[in-house]
Amino acid sequence: MSAEAGSVIGESIKRIDARGKVTGETRYPGDIDIEGQLWMRIKFSERAHARVVAVDVAAAEALPGVVRVFTSLDVPVNEYGLVIKDQPVLCGPGGDKAGTDVVRCYMDMVAVAVAETDTIAKQAIALIQVHYEDLPAVFDAEEAMLASAPQLHPDCADNQVARYRIRRGDMAAGWRAADVVVEGMYETTWQEHAYLQPEAGLGYIDEANRVTVVVAGQWTHEDQEQIYHALDLPPGQVRVIYPAIGGAFGGREDMSVQIVLALAAWKLRRPVKIQWNREESIRYHHKRHPIKVRAKWGATGEGLLTAMECEVIGDAGAYNYTSNKVLGNAHLTVSGAYEVENIHIDTYAVYTNNIPSGAFRGFGAPQALLAAEGQMNRLAAALNMDPLEIRLKNSIREGSIGSVGTPFPPGVSMPQVFAACGAESWWRQGEAGWQLQAPVAPSDSSKRRGRGLAGGFKNVGFSFGFPEHCWAGIELQGSAEIERVILYHAGADVGQGAHTVLMQMAADALGVPFERVQLVASDTATSGSSGSASASRLSFMSGNAIRGAAELALRKWQDEERPAKADFMYHPPETTPFDPQTGYAEPNFAYGYVAEAVEVEVDIETGQVQLLEVVCANDVGKVINRQQLEGQIEGAIVQAQGYALMEYLVSRDGRILNPYLSTYLIPTSLDVPPRVKSVVLEYPDPIGPWGARGMAEMPFLPLAPAIAAAIYAATGVWIDSQPFTAQKVVAALRAAGIGEV
Amino acid sequence: MWPQQFDYQRADSVESALAAIGDNGKFIAGGHSLLPAMKLRLSTPDQLVDISRIDALRGITNGNGNLSIGGAATHAEIAASAAVGAACPALAQACGMVGDQAVRNFGTLGGNIAHADPASDPPTALVACGATIHIQGVDGSRSVSAQDFFVDLFETDLQDGELITSISLPDCSDCQCAYVKLPHPASRYAIVGVAVCLKMDGDTCAQADVAVGGATVKAVKCAGAAAALVGSSLDDAALSAAAAALSDDIGDWLTGDVAYPEAYRSAMAGVFLKRAISAASG
Ligand SMILES: Cc1cc2nc3c(=O)[nH]c(=O)nc-3n(C[C@H](O)[C@H](O)[C@H](O)COP(=O)(O)OP(=O)(O)OC[C@H]3O[C@@H](n4cnc5c(N)ncnc54)[C@H](O)[C@@H]3O)c2cc1C
Repeated sequence: MSAEAGSVIGESIKRIDARGKVTGETRYPGDIDIEGQLWMRIKFSERAHARVVAVDVAAAEALPGVVRVFTSLDVPVNEYGLVIKDQPVLCGPGGDKAGTDVVRCYMDMVAVAVAETDTIAKQAIALIQVHYEDLPAVFDAEEAMLASAPQLHPDCADNQVARYRIRRGDMAAGWRAADVVVEGMYETTWQEHAYLQPEAGLGYIDEANRVTVVVAGQWTHEDQEQIYHALDLPPGQVRVIYPAIGGAFGGREDMSVQIVLALAAWKLRRPVKIQWNREESIRYHHKRHPIKVRAKWGATGEGLLTAMECEVIGDAGAYNYTSNKVLGNAHLTVSGAYEVENIHIDTYAVYTNNIPSGAFRGFGAPQALLAAEGQMNRLAAALNMDPLEIRLKNSIREGSIGSVGTPFPPGVSMPQVFAACGAESWWRQGEAGWQLQAPVAPSDSSKRRGRGLAGGFKNVGFSFGFPEHCWAGIELQGSAEIERVILYHAGADVGQGAHTVLMQMAADALGVPFERVQLVASDTATSGSSGSASASRLSFMSGNAIRGAAELALRKWQDEERPAKADFMYHPPETTPFDPQTGYAEPNFAYGYVAEAVEVEVDIETGQVQLLEVVCANDVGKVINRQQLEGQIEGAIVQAQGYALMEYLVSRDGRILNPYLSTYLIPTSLDVPPRVKSVVLEYPDPIGPWGARGMAEMPFLPLAPAIAAAIYAATGVWIDSQPFTAQKVVAALRAAGIGEV
Repeated sequence: MWPQQFDYQRADSVESALAAIGDNGKFIAGGHSLLPAMKLRLSTPDQLVDISRIDALRGITNGNGNLSIGGAATHAEIAASAAVGAACPALAQACGMVGDQAVRNFGTLGGNIAHADPASDPPTALVACGATIHIQGVDGSRSVSAQDFFVDLFETDLQDGELITSISLPDCSDCQCAYVKLPHPASRYAIVGVAVCLKMDGDTCAQADVAVGGATVKAVKCAGAAAALVGSSLDDAALSAAAAALSDDIGDWLTGDVAYPEAYRSAMAGVFLKRAISAASG
């Protein structure tokens, strides 16, 4: 049953969690307590790179009220990591795996103390004596690639945890055909997720003797896997439950408190609780990757791309987390949404002694697009072409071959998205093609206004050969008609409204009113794996899983089974990794397409940039819940505005200097653009449920390069280093002789 | 984030406040600087003497060419005062730009200058406009110029147990003064604040006083910049010369942080000097 009259697909159904969140009834991990619970505190590394020679816990354990101090000696299998298990759970001596006695950054854990109260646990941490033997450290990714650099991991001699190439076409011919060549160097730095809810959790033994962790994450079954691996338990002995989750944005993909909570609860057989504060949250979870891109692009006088050469270097930090995948996505997107025959790309993910980098909304694409769209805007300027015109000339379209030598999956809407963005903002189509209308000049002589454009694409679902999957279970109750539907699903509602959307999709797939659907969510004990709430994949993947389960359940219902129960594991088309020599790959099975036009006002004397208006054209395939969708667009734009203009995490020798929201500034209501226009396009994805594509990362991607283009339009100065803080803008303006008093 | 334990008493006169303060006591007015410092244990008084309700410290008067503001007058009262607006617009503007309305309703001028936060607004206006600080201790009273009052980072000429009873300013209805600032996006404290006080003789600047705060560890009087303005018609060339001289004036006192380093603040001092002059003469 598809979206007909009466369907709830596309409706702004009120979120099932709205009331609880507005009234404060909703319980997040930090709000949940169990009678008799103990409290945990963590002893983090005090070095950027050092061997832990000894951990002396005697004084801490002697403190009255301290129940236990755990160290490396207590961890059965002392390793974890989402993709590569390269991080010790607790760093220290005694392991049989090489390197588990080394701390590689300040967020490494060395010991945990469990006590009757939080205060005592905190005192115990101060009494733990760690003896270090310092090792040489490296904090710059390019330095870490040199032969002289210290080696961080025993099995990674050159510190390059991932290295990719693309070799296509004939570069010499490409440069020969170019009438104009533009070169740029683009730099980005860390970004903090700054989700509302700092890390917290509770570990206990449940009625089935499972070590259970109640925590906020993005993928219950992955947390479960990380825990049972480290504790050396059978999977069924570990349970993970997500209550309400206060934001994630990729920052909860990797482990924070999960393993240590499970370890303590399992060994002590008592409930154990932990709650981080904001400073701990900022210091001890990963960040968006700092990435440096060197790019050289050539084009003909008519603006057709002829050759592209890029080098992409990402700072992975001390552990891989998802770095090899993030840099894989940067590798794929650094050529932009454009077709070019001759292309040569080298990409590296490099270990350093900085805080680990990992998943964050956009997953490498925002950094790559800052470069790609920066190059495109430079080409437009060099050729005196309209920025929309030059994009439409080169844009990928249906059937286009990507940089990796294979066609984009069917349903490419990039040209339509670019055109819609232009038409809905400040472009007029005339005889000479699309033409950007200049903004009205402000009366204040210290202010200049400009408009800019950027666009791109983002994969939906896991890439590069990952065995992508998503499970859903459905139970139909009633006799003559379906009176009640119970949907079982593990998908994480990280605040994006996923649970409401899952129920909408189930209602439509079964042809029942929304009110009859109940959801049993986010518990490894009741659901199969849904994969992560990330990669803009959850609606797409779970929609297909729910449709599969609904079809099977309805068949059983027709066969008079009561209740009728069915489950379904959805597998999308397979993908493949990059060929190590050429980069040839079928990297993804679906994409979402986005473009943004912005207007900014630059104070040429102070360098302050104000974002006045954003027009975002986002092809979502099919709207499932309009209100949630617009919320994602607006939220992504504000987060990207922070990324582009304000958010500046300062780290010196591996230590974060501004781990507070008073010094790490994110946008507030006073900063957000006065006008945001969401242009929602619905070009169906052929394999998306109801035609839906993923959409929640996309509006983040092009904002920074669109702002950079607008600053250029306003002032004639390129800003290639994110964030575009007032001091960087002033420096660039003054170097160009602008704005001096 | 809990202060050390302390006693609290409310004083009803200057004399009783001075008598009550003791060896390790602190006056409390709005508490908007003191309480945060106590919570961070940067300040650990054993006794707080509340001076916010002492009538003698509250009033604002203007007579005999002299504007007098009580030490416990709030920023909001000063910003709204017609007397201050007429006699010294720069101070009214500075007090009106402090934090937000709630902060201005509690924070006092005496508390602000006694605390001497480098990012404060009022000290810059007081230094440019030639204010005098009136101080009373158990052994008597004394007066000191604003310029001498501010010594260094969080350091003033105030001695333990002394109370700021009032702040006075020459009535400069015949001058043009203004305060402008670049506010920190989160706290609204000054990243850079500039105050100017100009006397014009026709189109020519006959006298100028300039002070900078925020960018500096204390409110700094800028003689070089002032000299560059005097005798000019405040034309672009004079403004550029003054901005250049200003960076020398504040060079020894510059401060900065990771988000707004010294170089940026120094450059912005020049920009805001220009804006202050334009505000003053506008
Ligand atoms: C959120 C926030 C934002 C702010 N933003 C700004 C801003 O933008 N610009 C700005 O300038 N300020 C700002 N402030 C500071 C504000 O102006 C403070 O209120 C002021 O600095 C202190 O005044 P108070 O009356 O609260 O002093 P208190 O906190 O009560 O006292 C501060 C110190 O002064 C002493 N003291 C108080 N009164 C006297 C007196 N009469 N004689 C001698 N010693 C005395 C106290 O013993 C103490 O040591 C901000 C404060 C907050 C909380």
